[in-house]
Amino acid sequence: MVLQYIAIIFLFGGFFFLLVGVVGLLRLPDVYTRMHAMGKCDTLGAGLMLIALMLLIGDLTNITKLLLIGVMIATINPIITHLIAKTAYNRGTPMAEGSFLINEYVASQRRRRREQVQTIKKGDESSK
Amino acid sequence: MINTVLYIIVVGLVIISLVAIIRAYYGPTVLDRMVAMNVITTNVVMIILMFAYIDRSFYYIDVAFVFVIGVFIGTLCILKLLREGHII
Repeated sequence: MVLQYIAIIFLFGGFFFLLVGVVGLLRLPDVYTRMHAMGKCDTLGAGLMLIALMLLIGDLTNITKLLLIGVMIATINPIITHLIAKTAYNRGTPMAEGSFLINEYVASQRRRRREQVQTIKKGDESSK
Repeated sequence: MINTVLYIIVVGLVIISLVAIIRAYYGPTVLDRMVAMNVITTNVVMIILMFAYIDRSFYYIDVAFVFVIGVFIGTLCILKLLREGHII
């Protein structure tokens, strides 16, 4: 009986996180921010609901299967989120108004190229 | 008591999925629809597991597991089509 009360608490916690994820999905202005709402709230809500169902079922075989489903969800959701973000960035999906982008990789490449050009120029001047 | 709570949460999950369908309808790009589809997938898996406990028919857990793997492969195929223009 105590396990059932604990399971009810976990069930409503998981439902709350799924609800927050869907509200973020509906209200946020951008693909990237919508993904931010989906990727975390969904995983946490599903994990809490799986814990509640494990407490309710209480059979070792089915608990192992539920644990396997939890591991699959916890690995699949970050993979899908990462791939959607990469695809959106490569396709040039527009961001929301007022957001800015810091691309460290391109900036470091440009800095390196500028330094190379300066060293080449110095070498030419010294040879003259 | 626990059955009543499970029914309430199943109805809530169905309503949440319908709200996510609104985003899938109005989404400006394809990727918004993919995000909404991912949310609906998680909700459907949870509904299947709760039905498995309410009905005491635990083989539905295997159904949920196969559903998760199938949706994962489908999402990967759609993303590869969007990135590269072909699947195979």
